[in-house]
Amino acid sequence: MNTTSCQSPLEWDSLLAYWLGELDPDSEARIEEHYLGCARCSRRLEKLAALAQGVQVLAQVSGVTAVIDEPFVHRLTESGLRVREYRVPLNGSVNCTVTPEDDFVVARLEAPLDGVTRLDMVDVYSGGTSEIRHEDIPFVAESGSVVFSTRIAALRALPVTTVRVRLLAVDNNGERTIGEYTFNHTPGAI
Amino acid sequence: MLLSDPDNLPDEATLARRVAQASPGTDREAEAELCRRLAPRVRLYGLRHLRDAAAAADLMQQVMLMTIERLRAGALREPERLASFVFGMCRMVVLELRRGNMRRERLLETYGEVLEPVETPPPNPDRGRLAHCLERLPERERTILLLTFYDNMPAEALARELNLTPANVRVIRHRGMERLRECVTGATL
Repeated sequence: MNTTSCQSPLEWDSLLAYWLGELDPDSEARIEEHYLGCARCSRRLEKLAALAQGVQVLAQVSGVTAVIDEPFVHRLTESGLRVREYRVPLNGSVNCTVTPEDDFVVARLEAPLDGVTRLDMVDVYSGGTSEIRHEDIPFVAESGSVVFSTRIAALRALPVTTVRVRLLAVDNNGERTIGEYTFNHTPGAI
Repeated sequence: MLLSDPDNLPDEATLARRVAQASPGTDREAEAELCRRLAPRVRLYGLRHLRDAAAAADLMQQVMLMTIERLRAGALREPERLASFVFGMCRMVVLELRRGNMRRERLLETYGEVLEPVETPPPNPDRGRLAHCLERLPERERTILLLTFYDNMPAEALARELNLTPANVRVIRHRGMERLRECVTGATL
C-alpha cells in the first residue's frame, strides 16, 4: 500500500464503531488488517483515539459540568476519588463548598419524575440576572432524582454565591415547574 | 536516503523486502523506517484491545521486535502481505500479554536500537478546547460520552443504567462524537 493514499478509506463511523467495540469479530478484523497497512486510515484512527482519550481525561478530572447518574458516582468513589456530595430535597436548599481535597462535587436534586417525558434544568445566578437553560437532560424517572457534577475548576473560582436550580417538565402542553433548589455556595471549607 | 524525497517514499512491502534480502541487521535504515510507520498503528491496536497506554506500548515494542526478527530471518514470503503478518502478530502478542508470557528482554537486547525512532507522542487535542466543545454538546450527548469514555463502558451496560436501548446509546454517542470532532478540529479528520 502507498504511504499516503488509500483506495478504500474507512469511514469515520466505522472507525468509531470499531473503537467503541460495537462491531462483530469479522468486521473488526477487516478494519484492523486495513489500518495496520494504511497510513491514512491509521492517522485518522489515531486522531479519533486521541479525542476519546481527551474525553476520558476530562471525565476523570471533573473537567466538564454534566448530568451524570448514580452508578457513575459509585464508580468515582470506588476508584478512590474524593467526591463531595450534596442531596437537596424538593424545593430545599443546601450550604455548599469545595475544598482543595475534593476531586468531584456532585449534587442530587430530589424530584418526582414519574410521567415526565422531557426534563429541562435552569440555573439562575445571584439576583436572577442571568439564567442558563439545559434542555432535555437525561434522567431515570424511577431514581426520583437528578444528579449532576459541576466542573471543579468553575466551583473553585466561585465567590460567595447563591445559585437556584429549577427543574421543568416539558411536554406538548407547555412546561411546569417540578422543583426549585437553592445552593448557598461559600469558597473553601465551611 | 529514505526520507530525502517525501513524495516518493518506498512502500512498506518494498521496505520489508529490503530487510529480508539484506544480510541480517545490515539495512538499519529500512528497518527503522518500517518501525516508524508501523509502530503507531500497532500501538492503536494495543490501545483498542488492552485499553491501557503502558500495555499498548509493551505490545508495540514486542510486535515490532518480532516483525524485524522475522523479516531478517526471511519468514515473510509475501512482503505485500505485511499488514496481515503484523495483524497476526498483534493478535498473538495480545494473547501472550494477557497470559503474562513475554520474551521482551532478550528481543530488546538484540533489536532495541531499531526501535529508537518510534518514540513519537500520539496527537493530543487541546484540553481547554475539548472541554469547551464538550460543554457545547446537547446534554444527553455530553453525559453519554463522559460515561462511555470514563471507563470504556459498553453500550449495553450504559443503556441499562440510563433506561435507554443500546441502539439509542450508540446513536447518541456517534452523533456526539461527530459534533465533538467538528468542533475540535473545525474540519474533517
